[in-house]
Amino acid sequence: MDLSRRGFLQAAALTAAASGLTVACGGGSGSGGTKNGKNLTLWYWGGALSDKVVAEAKTHFSSQIKLTTASIGGDFKQKLTTTLAAGTSVPDITGIKGEDIASFLPNANRFLDLNDLGFKKLSSQYLDWKTKLAQTEDGKQIGFPIDIGPTALFYREDLFAKAGVDTDPAKVAALVKTWEDYFQLGTELQGKNPGTYLVNNLGSMFDMTVGQGTQRFIDKNNHFIGDQDHIRAAWTTSVRPYTLGLDAKINDNTWNAAVGKNLLTELGAAWHALDIEQAAPQTKGKWRVCPMPVGPANQGGSYLALPKQCRNPEEAFKIISWILSPANDARGFTDAAIFPAAPAAYTMPAMTGPDAFFGGQKIIEVFGPAAKAVPIAYEAPADAAVMAPYKTELTNIEAKGKKPDDAWKDAVSQAKQIARRQGVN
Amino acid sequence: MTSPPVTGPAAVPSHRGGPGPARFRPRRAVPVGTARPKRRGPLSYWRQYLAISPFYLIFAAFSFFPVFYSLYLAFQRWDGMGTMQFVGLQQFRFLWDDPVFWLSIRNTLVIWVLSTVPTLFGALVLATLLHSVRRFKGFYRIALYVPNVTSIVAVAIFFGAVFSNNFGLVNAILGVVGISPVPWLSNPWLIKVVISLLMTWQWTGYNMIIYLAGLQAIPTSIYEAAKMDGAGPVRTFFQITIPIMRPIILFTVIISTINGLQSFSEPQVLFASNAANANLGGPGQAGLTTLLYFYQSAFLNNDYGYGAAIVWAFFVLIIVLVAVNWRITTRGRKA
Repeated sequence: MDLSRRGFLQAAALTAAASGLTVACGGGSGSGGTKNGKNLTLWYWGGALSDKVVAEAKTHFSSQIKLTTASIGGDFKQKLTTTLAAGTSVPDITGIKGEDIASFLPNANRFLDLNDLGFKKLSSQYLDWKTKLAQTEDGKQIGFPIDIGPTALFYREDLFAKAGVDTDPAKVAALVKTWEDYFQLGTELQGKNPGTYLVNNLGSMFDMTVGQGTQRFIDKNNHFIGDQDHIRAAWTTSVRPYTLGLDAKINDNTWNAAVGKNLLTELGAAWHALDIEQAAPQTKGKWRVCPMPVGPANQGGSYLALPKQCRNPEEAFKIISWILSPANDARGFTDAAIFPAAPAAYTMPAMTGPDAFFGGQKIIEVFGPAAKAVPIAYEAPADAAVMAPYKTELTNIEAKGKKPDDAWKDAVSQAKQIARRQGVN
Repeated sequence: MTSPPVTGPAAVPSHRGGPGPARFRPRRAVPVGTARPKRRGPLSYWRQYLAISPFYLIFAAFSFFPVFYSLYLAFQRWDGMGTMQFVGLQQFRFLWDDPVFWLSIRNTLVIWVLSTVPTLFGALVLATLLHSVRRFKGFYRIALYVPNVTSIVAVAIFFGAVFSNNFGLVNAILGVVGISPVPWLSNPWLIKVVISLLMTWQWTGYNMIIYLAGLQAIPTSIYEAAKMDGAGPVRTFFQITIPIMRPIILFTVIISTINGLQSFSEPQVLFASNAANANLGGPGQAGLTTLLYFYQSAFLNNDYGYGAAIVWAFFVLIIVLVAVNWRITTRGRKA
């Protein structure tokens, strides 16, 4: 065919219009219509679930459902927010990070209530405090717990031994009942191991001390309580390592290099073990874990949720309850260091084995009880945003030598402003 | 098409402004007796409009609409999903009282000055040097331009490693000559210096190429005349080269103002939030530029209304600065 210019342009215009139409329809078909779709999509991020379990879920349900999974990189929360706001191409099942769940609760109507689908019967299998964090005030359950991050004290057995300190986890735990004990031990250790530090930075201390409490920055009546005694006490404790010279002040990406060298201890969640292992493989066998001073906190741990547009809620719920059943949850621990939110998993062989990185210690003996002892605290949607200035000011103390009292005042006044912007009164 | 295939620009049947002969060739059958063709309505050019439409459609959807939507958002409170709530000028009042916003403006201006001045001055000097180079011209040009086409993320990660406080190359070299480690990435001023260095490194080559093009357009006879009048190389540079290059310098100043004030990726990658430090902008928020603060407010704190207010306030600031720059750089040109 001899294609004329006019013919070409008309053909091009038609093609463009046709493709636009297809795209529009393609997006639209995702929502609405019948609720027994055969194709379901699952969004998660690398390391959120065991890839092996997800792959098995695909084959396990292949007779009824074609499950397509997408590992979403980058800022997951941002991408999910945009997609939910747009309302098209919404995943049928999606992961939500633990630190983001609170900010999704005000928009619980964008998700299905899992209690309607049978979560009520299963909920006793999962840790109560974790389940509650994904629940609205009126009892709607939007998140199905995947994992949790119970915290503990990681310590260098070899450096403890060098200072003549008993290195047995139970003995160390008895030594560091309170934060003051911990700092005192740190001073002793530092004297025998010159150039080492007890904590990596003040921000991580603050995460722990706040997380040990039953109240955070905003109360259930939407009042700002970040200037009250419980936060002030957490702040004061967090600043102590700085005044005692036990703070390594690591606020850049050099943690990776420091962790195997001059850090005596690390405060972190169960998944932090993997960070240490990857950053400092040469320290294999030299680390141990014991309960954190005062008690455990929680850091992170995610959920699976079903957006309102889900094309087949019944089947989708079956899939997530299968993926997150205690037995499969325990496998997540083996495959991806995901610490299960189902206590039944803690006695399964996948979790009770000795860990070579920790010199053969059975770390579940520390994290298992910690998981059950995490305090329940109300976390407001704006909590993360309101917490940020405190950590900024802690960094100011470290980087600029700002006076802790001035830093506290600035942190509170900024936190109040952010709270007001976010509609907290 | 029935006409034989055409080759070469001279034969393009251009409607207006085409090269010589084509202008006299009637494009269509011109009605007899009329001196010039009738004005045609814009609709009759639909094919041309269609041909250029992809750019404008994409521009409208992804630039034009969001820009004005963000203006609308600046008067709302919105978490990105729920219902919007009209709050009038409240966001701007918050902005006025927010010390972090003003800190971010100060950071941006300091980083901008610290990067733009060395960039433009260095580019001019390099361009002059390169202009007189006889050998390996292509090599030098490419070598100086390569930083500009290198991925900003890769460069920022590289700078982060080189200037790392505890284990960086720079501190290692300083250690060899007996200087104690410098806290490049935690001292509030050094943070700005590192970000500025990164931007200088990346943008000097780009401006250098523009200056080089300008230099090559200056006739050599002017330089010869100056030489005969006894002007040395330095005097020639300041009294011949710079005045003639003025319009080009003006262009680069304005482009650098717009680019330099929008620094985002550099501090974002250098001081990315991580488990230990959830804030953006590094220790003391010394690397928190205004755009980074906007990103944090809108996309990390889900406060879209406030984010929109930040960028619109910032837009006004850029306009003012460009106007000031324009006045300074054009001053005395007509005198």
